[in-house]
Amino acid sequence: MIDRKKITDFLKKYIVTILFLVLSLTFIILGDLDMTSVARDLMKRLSRNAFIVLSLIIPIVAGMGINFAITIGAMAAQIGLLLAINWNLTGPVGILVAAAITLPLGALFGYLVGVMLNKMKGQETIGSMILGYFANGAYQLLFLYIFGNFIPLNPKVTIIGATGVKNTLDLTTNGLAQAIDGILRIPFLNCVYIFAGAGLVYALVMYLLKKITKKKALVTAGCSVVLAAVFCLPVVANCFNGKNSEAITVPGITWVLILLLCGFNVLIMKTRLGQKFRAVGQSQTVANASGINVNRVRLIAIMISTVLAGWGQLLFIQSDGMGTLTTYSAHEQVGLYAGAAILVGGASIDRATNSQALLGTLLFHLMFLTVQKAASALFGDAVIGEYFRAFLSYAVIAVALVMYAWKGNAKRKKKQKDLRTA
Amino acid sequence: MTENKTISAKKTEASRKIVSAVLFVLVAVLLVSSGLGYIVRGMDGTQVILDTMRTDAVLSTATSGLVDSIAAARRLAYSQELRKSKEFRKMGTDAYIEACDKAEAEARDEATALYSDTSGVDRAALEAAIPGIQGIQGRYNAMKEGENEVYAALYTEVVDSIGDWTEFCDANADDDALWSALCAQVETLSDNAQLRPGMIKLVKAMAEKEIAADHAQQAAQLWSSASGAVEDWTAYAEAADEELWSLILEAVPSLAENENAADFKEELLASAKLAASGEAAAEAETETVTAQTQVDYSYIVYSDQLQALEKEVNGAFTSLWDVLISGIPALSELKDKDAAALRERILDVITASEGDFAQQYTKYASCGADKKLTGFTKVKMVVASNAENLLLLGVAALLMAALFAFWKPITGKMGVSRSIILLFFICLMLAAQFYKINMSMLIGNILERVSMYGVLVLAMMPGIQCGISLNMGMTIGCVSGLFALVTSLNFNINGWAGLIFSIVVGIIVAIPLGWGYAILLNRMKGSEMTISTYVGYSFVSLMCMVWMGIPYTNPRVVNLLIGRGLRVTHSLLGNYAYILDELGSFKIWGVTVPTGGILFFLICCGLMWLFSRSKLGISMSAAGSNPRFAEASGINVDHMRILGTVLSTVLAAVGIVVYSQAFGYAQLYTAPRQLGFIAASAILIGGASVKKAKISHVIIGVILFEGVLSMGQQVANEAVSGGGLSEVMRIMISNGIILYALTQSGGEQK
Repeated sequence: MIDRKKITDFLKKYIVTILFLVLSLTFIILGDLDMTSVARDLMKRLSRNAFIVLSLIIPIVAGMGINFAITIGAMAAQIGLLLAINWNLTGPVGILVAAAITLPLGALFGYLVGVMLNKMKGQETIGSMILGYFANGAYQLLFLYIFGNFIPLNPKVTIIGATGVKNTLDLTTNGLAQAIDGILRIPFLNCVYIFAGAGLVYALVMYLLKKITKKKALVTAGCSVVLAAVFCLPVVANCFNGKNSEAITVPGITWVLILLLCGFNVLIMKTRLGQKFRAVGQSQTVANASGINVNRVRLIAIMISTVLAGWGQLLFIQSDGMGTLTTYSAHEQVGLYAGAAILVGGASIDRATNSQALLGTLLFHLMFLTVQKAASALFGDAVIGEYFRAFLSYAVIAVALVMYAWKGNAKRKKKQKDLRTA
Repeated sequence: MTENKTISAKKTEASRKIVSAVLFVLVAVLLVSSGLGYIVRGMDGTQVILDTMRTDAVLSTATSGLVDSIAAARRLAYSQELRKSKEFRKMGTDAYIEACDKAEAEARDEATALYSDTSGVDRAALEAAIPGIQGIQGRYNAMKEGENEVYAALYTEVVDSIGDWTEFCDANADDDALWSALCAQVETLSDNAQLRPGMIKLVKAMAEKEIAADHAQQAAQLWSSASGAVEDWTAYAEAADEELWSLILEAVPSLAENENAADFKEELLASAKLAASGEAAAEAETETVTAQTQVDYSYIVYSDQLQALEKEVNGAFTSLWDVLISGIPALSELKDKDAAALRERILDVITASEGDFAQQYTKYASCGADKKLTGFTKVKMVVASNAENLLLLGVAALLMAALFAFWKPITGKMGVSRSIILLFFICLMLAAQFYKINMSMLIGNILERVSMYGVLVLAMMPGIQCGISLNMGMTIGCVSGLFALVTSLNFNINGWAGLIFSIVVGIIVAIPLGWGYAILLNRMKGSEMTISTYVGYSFVSLMCMVWMGIPYTNPRVVNLLIGRGLRVTHSLLGNYAYILDELGSFKIWGVTVPTGGILFFLICCGLMWLFSRSKLGISMSAAGSNPRFAEASGINVDHMRILGTVLSTVLAAVGIVVYSQAFGYAQLYTAPRQLGFIAASAILIGGASVKKAKISHVIIGVILFEGVLSMGQQVANEAVSGGGLSEVMRIMISNGIILYALTQSGGEQK
């Protein structure tokens, strides 16, 4: 007997996710796309964007909605990167120095954002977005007029014959491009086998420790074996191992960092601070009554998120295919795309998990890729795909906000009704 | 807790008092020194000093000109010598330039030591000669400028009206025919017969250029089809002309039949030889010489009066020059070109005395004439020359001091953000004075922008009144207006009919859209602003796809590059651009008033005011400001919110049409996305909050906001090289104001 209510609930919650899956499949069929190239691009985009999307989770749990002000973290990262280039640092060292600069800068910016957001409770989504716009003005002021005029810079990063930083900074010559991605590249198939092996070991160890039931252990082990077996089939394997085209590789260190962040997100929720995040997220009044300094907890959440987003932006820039940093626009869409991605994964304004973030990034960028390719296949130019994805990004956020507001209003009405009947 | 607060409040109060006291002292110092400066200007001695400075400036200009030309000559000679020497091959470019620089500097030092002594010049004679030139030169300059202006205006008109220059080549032989043809093109030309020789010369030159360019282009085209026919031109390196020519004729059969083929023979052979010699065939310049809009004064033939005046100036200058030469004989050895350049420089110094005190002083000082001033005299002159600037600074400081001293009463009445913007406004006005920006142009610019943005800002008001706070989704209305506008262009509805059609259709489209949007907003009270922003954004992006796919076929609106979809920018020039602004437009004190646009804005404001006084309007405001109370008194809050939202959307549709006609262009796709933010910040600056708005807020807001932006733009252009600063300012002001309003509305809930 299937529980109908459960199904409708599931559908309601994951309607956007399913829509994106269906859309992507449609585009793949319509555009008659080559799956290997789609998979390769998807891998690149997933490893490039996952870190930033994961940085959104903590503020969501702390009840501050989607932190669109992560663009400010991205700006901090770009300041760090600019200084690294300015000091002629190369390769992973350069990225590490940029990350080190991002930490205090991002924390400071995050603090300022947090102070502002504490003054506009209930309007954090729009507030953080406009803060991002405002900061963009300050960023331009800094890069166009203060750098070069008041803070001397190496002439190779400034506009020739004028003041201010160049529009595009080259990352290839000093080895900053692919600095992290390029350290360790693992073939995709090996990754799958490692993953399946880890699943088997996990099932075995947990069963022996009696943490999970026999049935669950068997299912996990079975899934791992099937996964490995499927990827052993020549038909599937040839898509990935380079027999048909260029092999798909996974940037090892980047994924280690992404998994570390996932672990951080899980572990921090088990600490006292994490409990405070949850408490504040559920009800500020209750949290305040139980002696939690609500404003301080919110500040910390935003600061962590901003710094993490900055690091995510560094990963994004170093992995970007062009090998350049577009100084004045690289940060602009960060908040929009990351916010839309996490919502696509099934997160809502007040609830989000690692798996939702990863799934959302995967689906969102799958749609991104396929719509562009399908549009150029169907209409002859990719511009319409560009518009379509901008539309979907905004619409996803609008729909999530509408759902959240509806839910809130429904709850309030129900409460009033209960009060009246009681 | 409260004690702490009062203590900190007292502390800030005290520090504010200290700051304002310091500022007031500064004000006193500035104003007193400015007054002293004005007094010094009036004293007799000052004029004498200034006259001495002028003579000094003339002398030092003469010597420095001499030194410059000697140094330049030495540099040239040295570099030529160096090129011949053996060392030259070894040294790099940098070393070469360095050596030349060194030689030049040495020569300069030598020459300065030799000629800096001007005691040989008869100062009395020089001083006597200068005033003679002053008057004539001033008249000459004014007259020349006037003639140049007439010429420039007609020149651009002629250039714009002539489409095909080759047409005017036929009239080559006969000047009269050419002139009458020109007069037929540009009517006003016949009234300016004195320009005839210049214009004819100019048009002939242009026509020649055009034909030459045309010829070159044709040759290049022929060559590009010929060059492909032979795989390896280098094989024909030794070939004779005739052989090459036959090859080319073989490659391009049509050329053989062409009777003008011989015209291109020379060019084609040259290209073939170039290819045969193995060099990459230089890309023939296919760029056509399009009519230059830059005015070329070299063709102008000045009137007889002006020429007579020029002779007079020459005579007067010669006497001055003689005085100079008798003192510094080396001047007579100058080459003609250098002497002419020096002449211009000296005349420039002399005519500076036409300007006011500050201009004179800065000019003379820049020639090095202030070096001879010592001690007190120098201080006196500097203060006197900066009297205006000191006064401006003093007033600015006074305002700051007053703001600090009366912080509480001022901000209490006007709100913090409005006081800061007002202060900024005044400071910008003072800065505009400081940079000597044309005030009437500035005011005209502000008026133009007010008429441009007015209705869009007004569209924010009903939204706030009916309780949906800042209606960032007004872009929905803007897009409807743009749709109507593009439709009018597509169906060739021009002029007033086009404008009225756009407004009416825009309203008709906006009503149902606004209705649906209002129903959506009614279902989620409390977080309208966030949702309306994203709904607006996604609607604009959705419409981007509509613009791409809309089946309009008129080439006026279709993107000709890809052959379908609408263009991004649609020019309304020659159609209904500025039609509203120019209605009844007049000029007063040099300010062009866009009467129609301003009137339209005021009429819209008046209608909205009447509406807000009506029963319906009052119930709408009641529903917005206190929904529960309104509900209790029998007002249907949801209906009122729908009414307000629809009104806001409709006004946005009208606003964008007015905006586009004032701008002269309509922009589609992502262009309207940020309009909601601009309108929101303007009304907030005017004193509205996210819950309360009045007509006065709209009017004050649009004037303050657009005033700050337009002045900021011009001041920033003067102050900082390279544009962009004004855009940064716009972003920061606009978003900063909205942020401030948000912090006020949210408040610290504990």
